[in-house]
Amino acid sequence: MTGERLRIAGGTVHDPANGADGEVRDVCIEDGRIVASVPAGAPVLDARGMVVMPGGVDIHAHFASSSCNHARRLLPEDHAGDPVPAPVLLDSEGPARSGTGGTLPSTFATGYRYAGLGYTTAFDAAVAPLMARHTHAELDDTPVLDAGCFALMGNDEYLLRQIAAGERGRVGDYVAWLLGATGAYAVKVVNPGGIEAWKSGQRNLTNVDQALGNSKVTPRAILETLADAANGLRLPHPIHIHGNNLGQAGNSATTLATMQALAGRRAHFTHLQFHCYGGGGGAPWSSAAASVIEHVNSHPEHSADVGQVMFGPATTVTADGPVEYLLYSTSGRKWVNIDVELETGCGIVPYSYKEKAAVATLQWAVGLELFLLARDPWRVVLSTDHPNGGSFLSYPALIQLLMDRSARDEQLKRANPRLLAGSALADGLAREYTLNEIAIVTRAGPARLLGLADKGHLGVGADADVTIYSPDADLAKMFASPRYVLKAGQLVVEEGQLRRAPKGRRLHLRPGFDDAVLRDVRRHFDAYGTVAFDNYAVRHVPDEPVRIAP
Amino acid sequence: MTAAPSEHAVCLGCGCACDDIVVTVAGARITTATNACMLGVAWYGDGVVPARVMVAGAAAKLDTAVRRVAELLVKGPSLVYLAPDLTTEAQREAIALADLAGARLDSVTSDTAAPGILAGQRRGRATATLGEIRNRADLLVFWAVDPGVRYPRYLSRYALNPTGTHLPAGGSGRTVVAVDVGPSRGPAEATTRVVLTPSDEAAALGVMRATVSGRELSGLSPELRAAGDLARQMTRARYVAIVHDAESGSEAADPQRAEGLVGLAQALNGPTRCALSSLRGGGNRSGADAATTWQTGFPFAVDFSPGFPRYRPDEPASVVLGTVASVLIVGTANRLPAAVAAALVGRRSAVVGPRASEAPFATDVAIDTGVAGIHEAGVAYRMDDVPLPVDRLVPGPAEAATIIRSIAAALAKAARR
Repeated sequence: MTGERLRIAGGTVHDPANGADGEVRDVCIEDGRIVASVPAGAPVLDARGMVVMPGGVDIHAHFASSSCNHARRLLPEDHAGDPVPAPVLLDSEGPARSGTGGTLPSTFATGYRYAGLGYTTAFDAAVAPLMARHTHAELDDTPVLDAGCFALMGNDEYLLRQIAAGERGRVGDYVAWLLGATGAYAVKVVNPGGIEAWKSGQRNLTNVDQALGNSKVTPRAILETLADAANGLRLPHPIHIHGNNLGQAGNSATTLATMQALAGRRAHFTHLQFHCYGGGGGAPWSSAAASVIEHVNSHPEHSADVGQVMFGPATTVTADGPVEYLLYSTSGRKWVNIDVELETGCGIVPYSYKEKAAVATLQWAVGLELFLLARDPWRVVLSTDHPNGGSFLSYPALIQLLMDRSARDEQLKRANPRLLAGSALADGLAREYTLNEIAIVTRAGPARLLGLADKGHLGVGADADVTIYSPDADLAKMFASPRYVLKAGQLVVEEGQLRRAPKGRRLHLRPGFDDAVLRDVRRHFDAYGTVAFDNYAVRHVPDEPVRIAP
Repeated sequence: MTAAPSEHAVCLGCGCACDDIVVTVAGARITTATNACMLGVAWYGDGVVPARVMVAGAAAKLDTAVRRVAELLVKGPSLVYLAPDLTTEAQREAIALADLAGARLDSVTSDTAAPGILAGQRRGRATATLGEIRNRADLLVFWAVDPGVRYPRYLSRYALNPTGTHLPAGGSGRTVVAVDVGPSRGPAEATTRVVLTPSDEAAALGVMRATVSGRELSGLSPELRAAGDLARQMTRARYVAIVHDAESGSEAADPQRAEGLVGLAQALNGPTRCALSSLRGGGNRSGADAATTWQTGFPFAVDFSPGFPRYRPDEPASVVLGTVASVLIVGTANRLPAAVAAALVGRRSAVVGPRASEAPFATDVAIDTGVAGIHEAGVAYRMDDVPLPVDRLVPGPAEAATIIRSIAAALAKAARR
């Protein structure tokens, strides 16, 4: 069944972007794309009784970056405990690669495991522009996935100087250049201004109007400037924001202030769970999920992914250097910090979310509250901020929690309730996600938020990325082991086994810009950089850039 | 004929990976490498390398040689060894080959820079890319190293002289301290020196860490008191860079040094900011660590024989060579650590790399390739893990990555028989 045409016959189709909610029908494929029909003699994959969905789309994970590789290097014990022998592919495929798993699997294992879950598209959500060349090399070694990366901005010296000088006008051209130079797909902002504050001795910025040093630069100014630049360039995905004060008691005030600062502007708030805590200032931690999700519910220009915490091992890896220092100094675990010149930072601390820990339980509950209180699943989508809140391998268990209240209640009984006073989840949220809502938060929604017109749906012309599940009362098992997965029309998983591992496509942008800005950027490089401007841009990004709609 | 000069060539003569080298070429020879230091000039040479294929000491066809290498690997057990001067693209192919062969995989790192990496795996580390040191560090502490010897432009490009975003006055805004440990001395440019005997070094690092953490120690020797004073000075700086040589040198270092420096640099991030800058040698050895890590989860010393990567850092290549039937060296065979070179004597070996046919030991197979950044284009990593593009400046023999892929194909074929 590797021909150019295929009929997936008689499956129960969940394709929310095209209005199919459990519709029994055929899905036809030709040359890697969905078509209206194929001739009667085309090969048939019998999907009767099975659930058919578009391939999964991960809007936010960390799996292919210099920071991830530093985390891999830090964690030999994590890898030693999870060996990954090479899968046995069909003979025509040639040898597969072995690797290791754990919270941050090696690259080939990452591609195989995502495919084995039925995910066919994923984005690495935080790449230092200086290290983009490294990310593309890792992505070259991450099979199956169509993949891209988000370029870190918001602590870059050049941008901060433009804002300080009141030169916001040239930022759009700078952003466009930087996205093209790094082969990135979107603008990622992490702790705006706060990483530079960490590096310069100010330690952090903790509210949107706190100035960076003696300058006029504030998180608000950074966010407004970058949001306007991204929206002005008509980027398919708006700025992807990890706000200030991640992981702190009482940080919901900062989160709401950040959202209000960007009211009226398209923006995506990532791993929102880590930004929704009440308490602080002597008061105990509490859930502030309800107030934050209410903002998202009432602002159609805003979207979020949840960043669910799952009980078990994790590795925290982020550009947010100050938060990792705090985690290191409070947990006593091993810690990596890397200051990246003129751009950003990197912090890594291995971690474990224990159900007996009150804060971990609160985090778990906050994430579920966000899911269950969200009114529009198209704008509040699934992530664990892999590997920060848990591995992408925990998505099936998370889906079970969303679809099955009794599973949540059972987990809740085992967890530490000390900080759950006032929690909507503890008070009993009855909602259970439907299969269609799962299809939205795991594929259709992320694809739409990313502006990927050919992903996340099964309409004519879409990429033929399809996942087929055998229904099972054990929902975690069902979503962990798809029966078939097709990538660009090719069967990569058959009868639950990975049989092919083709190269994926690189998803990146090359927006147009006025190259007058480059004279100024080059001067900046000449004055302060240690990499020549002519050596900065990634020279070989595979595949044509994704077209930006006019 | 003289071609237009390459304005921003990347030199892999040491781990500084200076990318401001202006290389001129005439008639397929490098004539000048402006801005390069002595090491760099020697590394570029005239760009002329042999292009031979040898089997058992005699000229052979490439496909014969490729088959012979595959036969060595299929018999096993084997070691695939990443030597210097490969692009990361070639390193990735060599790791894939080791995986396919179920071989041991290692690199120069296991016999040189392993102590620092292992300390980092136990504790983590606080570090920075070289540009952060240039732009921010107002206090530079050189720990038993003078970069001028093995990393000649480190001081001028990254540490001592240049102006930076937070150091508009350049050198006059910086304080330079040398910690001399026995014969391993810091740079002459230091304005303050702390002198330690090798036997005092670990204790001095302990005293410094305690001092940074706010503990007052009494009854210290004058040397250890001086170390404590230096620690206090460090806490008063805005951004401290501690610079040490992560490679093994002519003087044996205290095995506790790496761990002590990692802990000190981390502790300094309480009262101030600090980065530990670990000097690494040339030939893209940081790239070998990076690619091995992303493909296997481990930075070096990988055993593929179980059918998956297993980490064996306790068995460096110089030890593994005593247990395998054959070794494939990929890279420059005349730039190997002394312990590895000694252990190679009497081993069945194949070399695929620059000047393989001139290897300083007997080889079963030798296939000459070009040098990354001189004859082969791709990516190479600076000592701080910043990836840089390297170019083909002059024509060379067949590319290493292509030959390794051919060996893998021959190995797969041989394994099927």
